[in-house]
Amino acid sequence: MTNLIDTVAEVDEARAADVVIGKGRIIFRRFMRNKTAVTGLAIFLGLFAFSLFGGFLTTWDKETIDPLNIGMGPSPEHLLGTSQAGIDLLALVVEGTRVSIFIGLIVGGLSVLISAVYGCSMAFFGGKVDSVMLFILEALIMMPAILVVAVATSGGGQSLKELPSWLLLIAVLLFFSWMGTARLVRSLAMSLMQRDYVKAAKYMGVPSMRIVRRHLVPNIGSLLVLDFTRGITGAILAEVAFSYIGIGIKLPDVSLGVLIGGATWQVSSFPWMFWVPLTVMFLLTGSLAMMNDGLRDAFDPTSTSIGRAKTKKKSK
Amino acid sequence: MSSDITTQPSAVARQAVERLRDAGLYGPGDAVLSVRDLNVRFNSENGVVHAVRSVDFDLMAGKTLGIVGESGSGKSVTSMAIMGLLPETADISGSVRFKGQELLGLGDKAMCKHRGSDIAMVFQDPLSSLTPVYTVGHQIIEALTVHNPGMSSRAKEARAVELLAMVGIPSPQARLKSFPHEFSGGMRQRVMIAIAIANDPRVLIADEPTTALDVTIQAQVLEVLHAAQEETGAAVVMITHDLGVVAGMADDIMVMYAGKPVETGTVEDIYYRPRMPYTLGLLGAVPRVDTSQKSSLVPIEGTPPNLIKPVTGCTFADRCPLVTDECRTAEPALLPVVDGVTAGGGAHRAACIKSGALVDVDAHRIFHAPPVPVSKFDGVPRDERATVLELKDVKKHFPLLKGSLFKRRIGTVKAVDGLSFDIREGECLSIVGESGCGKTTTLLEIMEFHPDQVGEVVIGGVSNKAATDGKTKQAMRKEMQMVFQDPTGALDPRFTVYEVLAEPLENLGYPKDAIRKRIMELMKLVGLQPDHVNRFPNQFSGGQRQRIGIARALAVNPKLVVLDEPVSALDVSVQAGVINLLDQLRAELGLSYLMVAHDLSVVRHISNRVAVMYLGRIVEMGDVDQVFDNPRHPYTRALLSAIPVPDPELERTRERIILQGDLPSPLDAPQGCNFATRCPVFAALPQAKKDKCLTLEPPLVSEEAQQFACFFPDGEIDADMLVVHA
Repeated sequence: MTNLIDTVAEVDEARAADVVIGKGRIIFRRFMRNKTAVTGLAIFLGLFAFSLFGGFLTTWDKETIDPLNIGMGPSPEHLLGTSQAGIDLLALVVEGTRVSIFIGLIVGGLSVLISAVYGCSMAFFGGKVDSVMLFILEALIMMPAILVVAVATSGGGQSLKELPSWLLLIAVLLFFSWMGTARLVRSLAMSLMQRDYVKAAKYMGVPSMRIVRRHLVPNIGSLLVLDFTRGITGAILAEVAFSYIGIGIKLPDVSLGVLIGGATWQVSSFPWMFWVPLTVMFLLTGSLAMMNDGLRDAFDPTSTSIGRAKTKKKSK
Repeated sequence: MSSDITTQPSAVARQAVERLRDAGLYGPGDAVLSVRDLNVRFNSENGVVHAVRSVDFDLMAGKTLGIVGESGSGKSVTSMAIMGLLPETADISGSVRFKGQELLGLGDKAMCKHRGSDIAMVFQDPLSSLTPVYTVGHQIIEALTVHNPGMSSRAKEARAVELLAMVGIPSPQARLKSFPHEFSGGMRQRVMIAIAIANDPRVLIADEPTTALDVTIQAQVLEVLHAAQEETGAAVVMITHDLGVVAGMADDIMVMYAGKPVETGTVEDIYYRPRMPYTLGLLGAVPRVDTSQKSSLVPIEGTPPNLIKPVTGCTFADRCPLVTDECRTAEPALLPVVDGVTAGGGAHRAACIKSGALVDVDAHRIFHAPPVPVSKFDGVPRDERATVLELKDVKKHFPLLKGSLFKRRIGTVKAVDGLSFDIREGECLSIVGESGCGKTTTLLEIMEFHPDQVGEVVIGGVSNKAATDGKTKQAMRKEMQMVFQDPTGALDPRFTVYEVLAEPLENLGYPKDAIRKRIMELMKLVGLQPDHVNRFPNQFSGGQRQRIGIARALAVNPKLVVLDEPVSALDVSVQAGVINLLDQLRAELGLSYLMVAHDLSVVRHISNRVAVMYLGRIVEMGDVDQVFDNPRHPYTRALLSAIPVPDPELERTRERIILQGDLPSPLDAPQGCNFATRCPVFAALPQAKKDKCLTLEPPLVSEEAQQFACFFPDGEIDADMLVVHA
């Protein structure tokens, strides 16, 4: 019913130049049109730069104790103050942000990859392979993640103890983060296999792997990208939560969760110790959520941002 | 129709309408439903959509009004507005009066008193309009309970049985306890009609009641609607896009375009004396099943206007071949036609400033219908042309299994059962039949081209038995491509048109430059603007998307194109353009088509040969004119007679064969002739001859250019299954 009405507006305005525009560019343009998303991206990139180069803002590092300034508020010498041990907070936050982003990117990225491969394989092979893989997946969902994390990071064998705590946390978070998406990818891929355009490609003689790559993955692609940004947020929050209750990152490693956890019971006496890492965490997760929205719009071919583009071009 | 004043759009006239309305004086007294100046506006992201614009009509008791229009023309919204079923966000103005009582502005509770008792509705999709968790009887009784709280439950049940019998459901008493899923689509639509007429409504609104059904079932349902109307004496509003369906049923027709009636009048006025270019075009765009019409169809170029923008001139101006500057200055009012031919009375109105000059004009000429394309193969006798596709005794049987742990085979579904035919160069073979007869399965079996296939498929000299390696298969794919039914589903929404068209070419390893060149050629070939290659499919209309689908199929220069219902998802005016394109491509490129379609008019127009399928077998095959003019198999006869013809006079007088029941499931296919259970000839046969039909399977015998599988091809038709409307 609606498709006739929808297209009319565009037919008039279709006097575009005869150039082939790459799809990447179209998506990029659409993303850039969403102000909130661009702001989110800017904040995220800012934090990322801060985590890499923030160390140059101060002469102190996260290990050196300043015995003259123990538990002091922000001052010209220590821009964000110092901890109760006399370590510069700025240096700690820079380090903590880096660890958090690092964990987020690795866990978010890898879990999406695992779930895409796992989910697509289930849908593609079907039958017995599907049921066995689905059983493993369900079993993993049942497993109590928090217990495993606690055992792996604090108990465990001697060999586990020698690994840095962030690496251990990444491994454990990764292990528990991909199942939901994998199941989603499976059902999505299964319905895509039935579409006429997949059939059309099959009847054109396009090889199976190419169909998966060209038709299945891109159509799941937007979900995967969204899941990547969501996964980063999830991993950062999980890290904060685990570290807060003391089973995630362990000192001397620093992360935003460790900083927030360590400062909660003395908010009134050392407020900067609590609020600074908390703000950074909010900025980090908030900016990712803002980006997520813009990415969805950019990838969705039915989104209204096409319409907006046309009016913009006209006014130029 | 009412006084002339109501249709004048000027401010003075509006006031007059208001005055008359307040005095309760407008409209003839015996109109059950009168609609005046109905306007519906929706708010959307892009602005306010003016979906229905000043619709006026009067509906007399016992009469049928047909509302005809394409999708988006506002016909369904009009009916929903009358029923008060539009969402609260819609802005509705004007007046809808049922027996003089205003319905617009009534609250939901007050409206519920009218809905289902005074005004009832039959919806389009019978599959989703019945609740799956309640029995059919429960749902009919529910409709009765709501409006007759005092009725005893025994009386209600008796009434429900009576209603089911009235709509022709066998053993109604037992069927009351059945759930909707136990009924076929046609049966469910009958149940819907039974619910609608349960409380003897004065007005019955049928919104595309047969669009989702097969032709034979459509004929049955139309018959039921007709009977229901006679039984209850209700006035019927029949909403449809199919000019054939209303031709025999309606007394008056209202043609809607862009939310506004553009022509109204009696059926004869509209079909024989159209006075609005849009109506002319629509009538010319419909292929006819009853005559061999070897001229092109009338294409109406362009798309309907966007109703978000304010209307400045005639809404049809952009698509009208007769447009002049005058048309764009003001929207023409719906005025009585004055041409010296139309009988007076002012009942025939058209919204065109040139309506008086449109006497005896030829739609083909004014719409510049393309000349009939001539193929280089047209002069060559069939036997001398090369064979493009050959099927030898192709079968597809599905085992039916039962049991959860150990699967037992309890039967076989013979979806395709021994099919043999061939297609020569430059020819179009259509497979027709009801849904479930195996036509789509046949297509899929050909497309799969699997070496393990029972029977042999030979495409361009390559047999499927030899297609064990990828190379042979690839070679065959180059010879044969497919166009799908749903143009939206067949295009990857994430591909631009360029990518869609490049896919088959890339697959064959064309260099980049060649692909680019070929795509530009293809865009021109199918009549799309080459600069549209960067767009996504959702930025095109349905007809344009189907053109993209055709372009993709033609990309690799195949010899044979398989068309799966290529136009059934398109509007009539758009459909004509696509059919013309297919015709032209076949002639220019020397293509062969294998088409599956349920619309026999389209089949007659486009194909050279036709094969009629019933339960996995071909029951009749031959040259299209031969088969359509002189059908021998009773099934073909019934199928052809079920197609409504867009000609009211003919439609009212012709004999129709109404088949009993539905297509039996292929599982319990009878032993002898498959068709015996529904056969109108079989029913009239003496017992001795019946035995032959029940025990022996009729073979496909040839007679001239026609093959058919029936022992009694010229048998009398049972009188019970013949219907003539008088």
